[in-house]
Amino acid sequence: MRRSWPWWAALVLLSALAFGLGSYQNDVYRKLLLWITLALGYNFLFGIAGQVAFSHFSFYGLGAYSVVIGITYLGWPLPLALLASMVFCVAVAWAVAYPSTRLEGFYLALATLAFAQLFIVVLNEGGQITGGTGGLANYRLPDVGGYRIQGPAYTVVIVALMLFTFAVLWRLDRSHFGRACRAARDNPEAAAAMGVDVRRTRILAYTITSTLAGLAGMVYAFVDNTVNPSIFGLENVFLLLFMIIIGGIGRAAGAVVGAVLLFLLPFVLSPWIGHHHALVFGWVMVLVVLFQPKGLMGLWDQAQHWGRKQSPQPAVQGPTHG
Amino acid sequence: MADAQPLLQVKGLTRRFGGLLAVSALDMSVHRGEILGLIGPNGAGKSTTFAMMAGAIEPTAGEMYFEGQSLNGLPTHAFAARGIVRTFQHNKPFDSMSLQENVMVGMHSQVPLSLWQVVLGTAKARAFEKHVHEKALHWIDFVGLGEYAKADVHTLSFGQGRLLEIARGLAAQPKLMLFDEPAAGLTATECLRLADIIRGIAAQGIAVLLIEHDMAFLMALAHRVVVLNFGGKIAEGSPAQVQAEPAVVAAYLGQLKVPHA
Repeated sequence: MRRSWPWWAALVLLSALAFGLGSYQNDVYRKLLLWITLALGYNFLFGIAGQVAFSHFSFYGLGAYSVVIGITYLGWPLPLALLASMVFCVAVAWAVAYPSTRLEGFYLALATLAFAQLFIVVLNEGGQITGGTGGLANYRLPDVGGYRIQGPAYTVVIVALMLFTFAVLWRLDRSHFGRACRAARDNPEAAAAMGVDVRRTRILAYTITSTLAGLAGMVYAFVDNTVNPSIFGLENVFLLLFMIIIGGIGRAAGAVVGAVLLFLLPFVLSPWIGHHHALVFGWVMVLVVLFQPKGLMGLWDQAQHWGRKQSPQPAVQGPTHG
Repeated sequence: MADAQPLLQVKGLTRRFGGLLAVSALDMSVHRGEILGLIGPNGAGKSTTFAMMAGAIEPTAGEMYFEGQSLNGLPTHAFAARGIVRTFQHNKPFDSMSLQENVMVGMHSQVPLSLWQVVLGTAKARAFEKHVHEKALHWIDFVGLGEYAKADVHTLSFGQGRLLEIARGLAAQPKLMLFDEPAAGLTATECLRLADIIRGIAAQGIAVLLIEHDMAFLMALAHRVVVLNFGGKIAEGSPAQVQAEPAVVAAYLGQLKVPHA
C-alpha cells in the first residue's frame, strides 16, 4: 500500500478540517466535497470520454432517492438499501448507455436530456413512493453498528467518498481504459482500427461515471435528510458543465478547481450582487470559451511555461532522414 | 514465399454500393513476409478491397480467411486483435495525446487486465503499464521519432505523422499490415526512409499489403503485384511481369511508366 499514501494523507488532512469547522461551515464543506465528486465524474464522462451527456445529476438523484426509498418505503436495512441502490444505478446507467452511446454529439445530448427530464417527471408523479413534488423527508441515517454517524463524522464519510471517486477515476484515466476513452473521442475510426471496441468503451465510461454519481447521491441523501425533485433538475447539470469548462476540461485538477471556485463564488459575491451570480458565471463562461478554452488549468500551464523561461520546444521540423 | 497456407485468403469477395459493383468476385491471397502491391486505375476497387480487409466495411458476398479462420462478420476492432492492422491515407492520430500515448493505444488488444485490477492498482496492472510505456518507446525509436516521444502529435509534420501511424500499427503486433497509399504526400527523402521501414517490417515476417499510386515507389518495393480493374483482378505477378502485361498497360492507357531500374 506504499503507493497509496498520498490518498491516506489527503483523507486525514481533509477529515481533520471537518473537526475544526462549525456546523454551518461543515454543511458548506460537505456540499463543496459533493460538488467536487460530481465534477470529477462529469469531467471523465464529458472531458475525457467526450460524451455530451446531461444525465449526470439524474444519477445523483437516482442514488439519493433509491437509498431513501429502500430504508423508508421498503424498510430495508441500510447495507441492503445501499447495495440495491448501487445495483439499480448500474442497471439504469447501462440501460441508458446501451442505446444512446450509438448516438454521438448532438443526438446523445438530446437522448440524455430527455432522460433527465423523464427522471424529474417520474419523481413528481411517483406518488407516495417518491413523495411527489414535496419529495421525501422525515428520515435519517440508520445507526451503523449501534453508532449514530453525524456532524463532522459524517463529513469524514463524504471526504472518503470524494477521495474514492478521485482515486478510481485517476487510475482509470492513467490506464489502457483512459487511453481508449480518449482515442474513441479523438478519432473513433482509428481507435477501432487499433483494436478498441469503441461502443463498449463508451458504455463502460458512461456506466462507471453515472454509478459514481449515484454513489454520491446515496451519501448526499443523509446530508440534508430530504430529497426533492427541484434539487436534481437540469439547472445543476449545467453548473457542473460550467465547473469543468472553467476549471479546464479533461483534467481532474481542473474539475476540482472549477468546482471549488463556482461553489464558493456565490458566497463571496452575494454581499454585492445578491443571487445574481448566474449572470457572473455566464460572463466568465463566455470569456473562458473565447480566450482560454483550456480553462484555468490552461492559464496554469502558461504560467509554468513562462516560469521555465521557455525551454526549447520539440522541433517541428522532421528528423534528419540520413 | 508460397507456403502451404496463405496468411490471408480472399475468395469471391464482392461489394456492392447500391447499384454499383465496386468489387466483384475477387480471389487473392497474401503470404507471410511478402510485400504485396495492390494497384489499379481510379475506381478499380482498390480502396473498397482494402477497407474490407481492414474490417472497416463488410463484404456483400465472399469469404476472407485469416490463418484459416473466417473473418466474416467480425467487428472492426476484432481485426486488430487477430493481427490485421492498417494505416490511414490521411493520418488519423489521436490529437490530444503525445506520440507515446498514441502508440500505447496500439497495444490495446494485448491488455491482460480487468478494470478491477486497474482500479485496485495491482502489481500486475502496474507492471503492464510499465511494459506498455517501454514498448511504445521501442516502436517510436524504430520509425526514427524517438526524440519526439513526449511531444504532442500536432507538433509533427505530415511525414512524421505517417511514421507515427506505422509505429502505432506495429505496436499492435500485426501479422498483416495494410498500408493505404503510404507514400502520398511525402517528400522524396521521406519516401526512401518509408521504403526502408516497410522492408524492415517484411523482414520481421510481417506480411505487407499496400495500395499505392506512386508506381516507381511501389514497383521498387513490392515482391508481388495484384492489378485490379472494374472490381476484378486483371493481372498478378512480379512487378516486371505485370508491367509487361498488355491488359495492365491498356487499363492504365500507357500511364504505367516506371523509370528503368
